[in-house]
Amino acid sequence: MMIRVVSIVAMFAVFGAAPVWAASTPAPKNASVYIIWPPDGAVIRGGKLWVRMGLRNAGVAPKGVELPNVGHHHVLLDTDLPPLDEEIPSDRNHLHFGGGQTEARLEDLAPGKHTLQLLLGDHDHTPHDPPIYSRKITITVPPY
Amino acid sequence: MIRQIAAFMAILIFSGVALAERTPAPNNAYVYVGWPNDGEVLYADRPFRVWFGLRHMGVAPKGVDRPNTGHHHLLIDTDLPPMDEEIPSDRNYIHFGAGQTETMIELPPGQHTLQLLMGDADHMPHDPPVYSRKITITVR
Repeated sequence: MMIRVVSIVAMFAVFGAAPVWAASTPAPKNASVYIIWPPDGAVIRGGKLWVRMGLRNAGVAPKGVELPNVGHHHVLLDTDLPPLDEEIPSDRNHLHFGGGQTEARLEDLAPGKHTLQLLLGDHDHTPHDPPIYSRKITITVPPY
Repeated sequence: MIRQIAAFMAILIFSGVALAERTPAPNNAYVYVGWPNDGEVLYADRPFRVWFGLRHMGVAPKGVDRPNTGHHHLLIDTDLPPMDEEIPSDRNYIHFGAGQTETMIELPPGQHTLQLLMGDADHMPHDPPVYSRKITITVR
């Protein structure tokens, strides 16, 4: 009896997992995301800046909007890419712009080096297939 | 006196209806042409990128009715259209209803103006309208 229950659970796990993979939103053809500003190596006095988020061959849509060829921006601050088959984390290193914003205001960057990278998420905050992310750049905030 | 009040009420009601049709814009919403710069000189026969800047507001494709969002319209060689009507769609008013935030265009030699105007889910300007400064570029 127990084994049967376990096998049913396992089947659900298998079949439940399969559609999650299949549901991964296909990336628009030739879509690319890039940081318009700041440039790699920029020195940001005061640790406050607008990050201008660029997107080519795709459109921006707020979270929850399921249309073809769209996504919303995520800024990865001082972190590597998250797992690309899961929902993008939401914390101080993974900033979501689910309102369809195309510029991100960063205000409390401590003196030192920081990395910035963009990752596009679909309506469910999951990266597309294949994932659309920018090059990672490094900026420096000089001592105040 | 009563007649005046009635007239005033009528105005309030009708203006209220008109206002209700337009999507409110965030107070500090700011749209601008990120590139090219005002006064930029560009080469003919070479498409160039126009990049749309937007602050304190988000982008949403046409038909998507979300607060504090809109989609970009690029006005080429034209003035602002009426602000209480749907934005025209022709070669002077280019719609980016798929949520695009930049485009490539090619213009014939001469002076040209570029300006951005946000439209709501129904291609109507917001209230107050969100539009950029008009810039002039030279193609030669």
